[in-house]
Order: sequence, then structure tokens, then C-alpha cells
Amino acid sequence: MSIEQFLNDDLIKLNLSCKDQNDLFEVMYKEAFSKGMVDELFLTKIKERESVFPTGLNLNKFSVAIPHTDPQYVKEQFIAVVTLENPVKFHLMDDASQETDVSVIFMLGLNQPHQQIETLQQLMAIMQDTSNIEKLLAATNSEEVHSIFKQIEASV
Amino acid sequence: MKKRILVACGAGIATSTVVCNRVEKLVKDNNVDAEVIQCKIAEVKAKQKGADLIISTTILPTTYEIPAIIATSYITGIAMESLDKKILDALK
Repeated sequence: MSIEQFLNDDLIKLNLSCKDQNDLFEVMYKEAFSKGMVDELFLTKIKERESVFPTGLNLNKFSVAIPHTDPQYVKEQFIAVVTLENPVKFHLMDDASQETDVSVIFMLGLNQPHQQIETLQQLMAIMQDTSNIEKLLAATNSEEVHSIFKQIEASV
Repeated sequence: MKKRILVACGAGIATSTVVCNRVEKLVKDNNVDAEVIQCKIAEVKAKQKGADLIISTTILPTTYEIPAIIATSYITGIAMESLDKKILDALK
């Protein structure tokens, strides 16, 4: 399954205005829950997971976050893509004592942990190329996000 | 003697899968006889007995009796080679 198939236009939010991390999680949860993609515990669980094991990542030029939770709260798989009008703070995945300003979030709704290695590798290939993050930050419609994801599929 | 490596992440879903694959390839390419076991970080405490190394993509919630390495580099792509070396050195 290609990574682009995990995108869902209702779960692509560009230049979203959020006051903090919880606000962001709530907006995305509402959207995913209303489409029947996650169960009602997803919001609590993703917040819990983020507070114990944060997912902020410092890349070369930008910081991103990959919030996710246990597979049982995900009914239909997705990768939500969010760019923020103003960055919100996430703690770092490898050092919870540090915070970073995150402008691009890939929220992972995955429930097949042993069958998604290729998808995750493609996602990491997207993150590891600064120009992709720049393109995502500049994107104004979901078509542009799809094309970034499609292009990775062709190259990985 | 065969080494046992525990690869852990917080929810045992996303990141450890990628790191697991990378570590399996790393030991194979360097002819290290090792078994790579994927688990949740919460399970590491119980599983560390009989294991030689913990590789984690997330913060370590406690201290362990065996060496532990944080492997976020494999996700961000930054300084991956030095992490490879660190892991191989820890297995010597």
C-alpha cells in the first residue's frame, strides 16, 4: 500500500490556527472521530502518549512531530498532515526535558504495526528532505500535499 | 555468543518498526550474530535479562542493567552513521 493512500483530504489541514498542542489534538480528533476513523478514547490516549513519550523531532532546519497512539484506538488507518499558522510546542522524542517549535505535524493513525514498515520508511524519507517540509509549509491545498507524497512513492 | 538486542518505542507501533529493520540490516552487514527483538519500552524492564543492548526511539523512563542507546537519528536521518558505529561498538 502506498503512503499516499493513507492521506484523507478531511485530515489535511493547512495553515491551521491552534493555540497549543491540546487544541491541535482536539481539532484533529473531532475530524477523525466524525468520519469514524478513530474511537472515542483516541483523544485521551494520544494526549497521554504524547505526555509520557513525546514525538517532537528536530530536523535540520525545521521541527516536526509524529503523534500517535496504540493501534486499538484506530479504526481506519490514516496519516493526517497539518501545517500550522503559528508553531506549537512539542517535547523532543529523545529528550523530554527539551521543547521545540513544531510547524508540521504528521499524526499517525496506524493499526497494522508489522505491515507498515514501507509506509513509515516513506514517511521518514519525506521528513528527511528539507525541501519536502518547505513544500508542505508552502502548500495551500491538499492536492499539493498529495503530490509530495506521490513523488516519494516513485523515488523510494 | 549470539547477542540479543531489544528495540523499543513508546507505543510499539510506529517508530520501532523502522529502527528494527535498520538494526537488523546493520548487524547482518557487519557479521554480528544477533537477534533483534521489537517491544514496547514498558516491556524492556522485564525483558532485559538475557539481552545485551537496548535501542530505543523514545526517552528511557527508567534506568536499566544493560546499555541503552537512543536511536532518534534513524528517524530524522541526522548522524545515522555515528549511531551505527555506537551500536556496533556496544555489541563488541
